[in-house]
Amino acid sequence: MPEYRKPLPVISALNRPFWEGAKKHELRFQRCNRCSKFWYPHGPVCPYCWSREYEWAKVSGRAKVTSWVVFHQRYFEGFKDEMPYSVAQVELAEGPRFLANLVGVKNEDIYIGMPVEVVFDDVTPEVTLPKFRPA
Amino acid sequence: MASFDIKDKVAIVGVGHTKFGRSIDRHALDLIAEAMQNALDDCGLRKEDLDGLCSNFGWPASYDVDAMAETLGLNLNWYGQTWTHGRFCASVIQWASFVVHFGLANYVACVIGQGAGPRMVGGAGDIEGRRETGGGHGESPHYGMTSPGAGAALAARRYFHRYGATPEQLAAVPIAFRKHASLNPNAIMRAPITREDYLNSRFVCEPLRLYDYCLVNDGGTCVIVTSADRAKHLKKPPVYIAGMQGIRTGRQEFIFGLPGLGVMQQEEFAYAPKPEQLKIYQTSGLGPKDIGALYTYDAFSFLAWVALERFAFCGPGEAPSFTQGGQIELGGELPMNTNGGLMSEAHMSGWNHQIEIVRQLRGECGERQVKGLEVAMWANAYGDALIYRR
Repeated sequence: MPEYRKPLPVISALNRPFWEGAKKHELRFQRCNRCSKFWYPHGPVCPYCWSREYEWAKVSGRAKVTSWVVFHQRYFEGFKDEMPYSVAQVELAEGPRFLANLVGVKNEDIYIGMPVEVVFDDVTPEVTLPKFRPA
Repeated sequence: MASFDIKDKVAIVGVGHTKFGRSIDRHALDLIAEAMQNALDDCGLRKEDLDGLCSNFGWPASYDVDAMAETLGLNLNWYGQTWTHGRFCASVIQWASFVVHFGLANYVACVIGQGAGPRMVGGAGDIEGRRETGGGHGESPHYGMTSPGAGAALAARRYFHRYGATPEQLAAVPIAFRKHASLNPNAIMRAPITREDYLNSRFVCEPLRLYDYCLVNDGGTCVIVTSADRAKHLKKPPVYIAGMQGIRTGRQEFIFGLPGLGVMQQEEFAYAPKPEQLKIYQTSGLGPKDIGALYTYDAFSFLAWVALERFAFCGPGEAPSFTQGGQIELGGELPMNTNGGLMSEAHMSGWNHQIEIVRQLRGECGERQVKGLEVAMWANAYGDALIYRR
């Protein structure tokens, strides 16, 4: 496996269950046990009702693209072979919006409302990045 | 709401800056010292008079305020500093206003300087941009998501989609600001640009192009704030702060967008501000029709549209048409960023705009003077604002 050159996520006490889930190819977000809402960014309490009672629940992985950008400027050396690359804001069927790379679609074919589904990219032995492909 | 007790009781009395340039091989503190001296000379104060210091631009790109005071030989009764972001320009003026109004200090110098050294533009070398979520513009470096401009691009894409706005319409913003810069001897970029230049310019982070982006440059600025009582005895006519409104944040906000745009966790709706969301007009007793010139943090052209709609200069989705036909140019209905803005004069985090407002209200702007200007406004995409009057 060639050396992975892109930045890696910073794993913290707040987001560890998310990244542990990704490694098992499960997309997990926090869901409030009191008001049943899913939320993002990962946090210590439900941002809607401030309950501390929540679970890291597996979500369907179904989403739609709600915005996207295409990087023509190279900021990270590790992305040099993929220029220009896209980053999309996807809205999960369960509600939260999340930024990630799209795979299996040309930049010019991306559109707002495009249905996508999660795929898992095992980028290093320790880290798996959830990404999205056309569904 | 209760009356706004400090209306017209605080003023800007002195402004100063250095030469602005793409790369000035001088230390940030050297540029700050020069700007401070120029601001002191502008109002006839001495460094011994300064007893407050405030900045929104310290580590990692520049010098922290306490170290600045020690090195420059200032004895302060108060200092303050936000973390390093341009967005806090008006917040610093508001803070300084409260400090002089409530007597914690008499004269507060608000300063920034960017010299040779690290910059905050995204990517691996940007310690701030490497932050996840807390970076504030949607930074997710592991997906290659970095730089403030990418956040603005994400919001602009949603706006284009919702209202059917076009890049041809957005071009009017950088073209207007460049036209103003051509009349400003301090501006870094003074050659006029055309719609064709704009449309032919390369994408940086699509849908935003090179000409949608502000400059990255060096320079120093200083603005001196004091009470209206003290202001009356200084060299030049005071410029009073007639109203203010704070910077907003939360799940319904995205730094480069309007509420309701559907960026990050925002709900989706067409935002038309309610009176209570426009404290700036309630506190000042003034409204959009009273504003003779408008200034905004134009880090990206799209932010001018956001500011116009957020502060009710036009309705939801109307900013693209509002900015056409020279309406935001000198001589138009609402001249914006008559200095050339961050896009064409210099990126001094909005401080160059505050300096321009003061000079415009004093009538010092020569060829680019807005005739008979009485009231000018600083209004930001992020929801903070100041109204200044002569």
